[in-house]
Amino acid sequence: MRMTRKDFLKSMLAATALPFIGSARAQQADPILIGATVPITGPLSLTGKQYFNSLTMAEEDINKAGGINGRNIKIVFEDTQASNGTAVNAFVKLAQETKPAFFFLSSYSTQNLAIAPELSKVQIPAMYAGGADAVADGGNEWMFRIRPSDSVSAAGMVQCAMEVLKAKKPGILYIQNDFGQGGAQTAAKRFDAAGIPVVGMEAYGQNDKDFSAQLLSLRGKDADVILIFNYPQDGALVLRQAKLLGFKMPLVTSSAALVPAALQLLSPADLEGVWGVVDTFMDSSVGGRMQDYVERFKAKFGTDPDPYGLAYYDGALLMAEGMRKVGTDPKALRDWLAAVKDWRGIGHVYSYDAKGNGVRDLSVVKAKSGTKILEFIQTVSLN
Amino acid sequence: MADFIQLLVSGLAIGSVYALAAIGFVIVYSATGVVNFAAGQFVMVGTFAGVAMLVDAQLPAPLAYSAALAVMALFGALFFLVVYLPLRKSSVVTIIIGTVAIGITMQNAALLTFGSWPFRLPSPVEGRTLALGGAIISTHALGVVGVTAIMVAGLWLLFNKTTVGVGMRAVAQDIQAARLMGLKVNRLLALSWILAALLAGVAGLMLGPMWFADVSMGDPIALKAFAATIIGGFGSLPGAIVGGLFVGLSEVLGASYISSAYKDLISFGIMIVFLLVRPQGVFGEKIQDRG
Repeated sequence: MRMTRKDFLKSMLAATALPFIGSARAQQADPILIGATVPITGPLSLTGKQYFNSLTMAEEDINKAGGINGRNIKIVFEDTQASNGTAVNAFVKLAQETKPAFFFLSSYSTQNLAIAPELSKVQIPAMYAGGADAVADGGNEWMFRIRPSDSVSAAGMVQCAMEVLKAKKPGILYIQNDFGQGGAQTAAKRFDAAGIPVVGMEAYGQNDKDFSAQLLSLRGKDADVILIFNYPQDGALVLRQAKLLGFKMPLVTSSAALVPAALQLLSPADLEGVWGVVDTFMDSSVGGRMQDYVERFKAKFGTDPDPYGLAYYDGALLMAEGMRKVGTDPKALRDWLAAVKDWRGIGHVYSYDAKGNGVRDLSVVKAKSGTKILEFIQTVSLN
Repeated sequence: MADFIQLLVSGLAIGSVYALAAIGFVIVYSATGVVNFAAGQFVMVGTFAGVAMLVDAQLPAPLAYSAALAVMALFGALFFLVVYLPLRKSSVVTIIIGTVAIGITMQNAALLTFGSWPFRLPSPVEGRTLALGGAIISTHALGVVGVTAIMVAGLWLLFNKTTVGVGMRAVAQDIQAARLMGLKVNRLLALSWILAALLAGVAGLMLGPMWFADVSMGDPIALKAFAATIIGGFGSLPGAIVGGLFVGLSEVLGASYISSAYKDLISFGIMIVFLLVRPQGVFGEKIQDRG
């Protein structure tokens, strides 16, 4: 059979491409693939960038330490933006194309809830950082929370209001989604149980930019302390507008308004009289592994680390330990994680319960007067 | 009473920004017949022009604001040349999709240039407040209302007392007749886009210190400016002003006195009622082929 010029060119092309295809497949098979669906762009990326950075740092650290019994891990990221639909698409894309052995989901409960049914279908263990109790109450056995739940956050905020600030007429402002509504209702129940009824509860939408009506309404009801359940950007805006409206009463914010991404939008004056809860008090002065993490993160990315990112770093180290012990079989890894007790991460001590909640403590902090530096007030633990 | 004054000023300040965006919307629609769905992104570009000059380049405030507005004028001219001129003879649907596509492109270009983290755009009266009748009022919010009033007065003078403004009105009324009268129609159309971009620029520069500057801030403004235009009357300048202030006030007062959870429902609900009962809006003319 005579080879035409076209056939010759085809065979040359195949001969040239084949080694690369083979090599690419070999490289792909080599590392253990981990999927991460996090908000890298859009308004939620204020915190999403932190998970991206901390997971990247965890990947390097795990691989430097010998990987998973000699095999490296490789984290493949997909952007969830600020949309549940995009989050589901990102997850399905990873599940179908990358086929990872493990997933990290975002810290936004609404996205976690949207992805949960898809996760049940693929049956791969996943860690998530959304706080809503509804996520854990959904009973998805493949999901493991790496941050305090909203119940813990609400308990911390209520404790701060009652014990530290001696609130008698608390008001609540919350973002209108699973996180905000859940947190606000939990806080209201706790105040009621303590015999201190909430004087008012006001909501706002995720894209709202003006909160004067809600803030003035709470002040009109004589609130002596306002608890705020917020995301980073809106949380910063609420604190700023409260100051412009001349608010003098203490404000107790959930953790998102006190992450570095939100603090960079605020001035020291905006933080006067602001208290809040953070998952972990992160400062070099804590020493030990915390100091090492804070300093390395800062040197590597040029920004301060936040507790959300640290939760993902801890989660990645926990996942790696599990893989080293029981391999990457999804069921074996899930069962190992479900049985974890008193695992010492940098931010928390992790013990998983039947609902996949691993963390039950957080810190109450306050901005030092005239600065944006947070100081530790007390630890809140919910058992 | 003190709370009412504070709410009133907040509502008027936000309403002023919606009004400026709506005026830009109406000027372009009246002159060119184009419903500019990128109007919200024009405001976002205005805010980021301010970020570039005030935060990044650290220029002194008067120079920074002038430079930001010059950038916006250039942007309006560029939009006329690159988007409007090539599309002007296309069908309405093509133009609408074109402006939507350009809006998305602008948002993503801003994302690539400035990143996804918001910026804090400083105000010339940063953090200052006034005590008025027991209420604490943000000086910036009062400034926004004042600047908008000056802009509206300036527009009235432009459209009623200058040759260029009268020419722009002539083009808006009948483009063929304007051309037959010897008016330089293309130049006047370009001026309409430049004027719309300048108004959006002023709105963006005033809005930046009230909200934070972020690349997704254009969408809610576009929706509210659209609602303001429907309520005030599509194509009517006084309608855009009244509609903008009405939407701002209904948003803030509705959230306070009716329900904060449904504050968007209140303004958009009113818009829907107008569409059903009085589609020409408060100031619009009763015509059948309203866009």
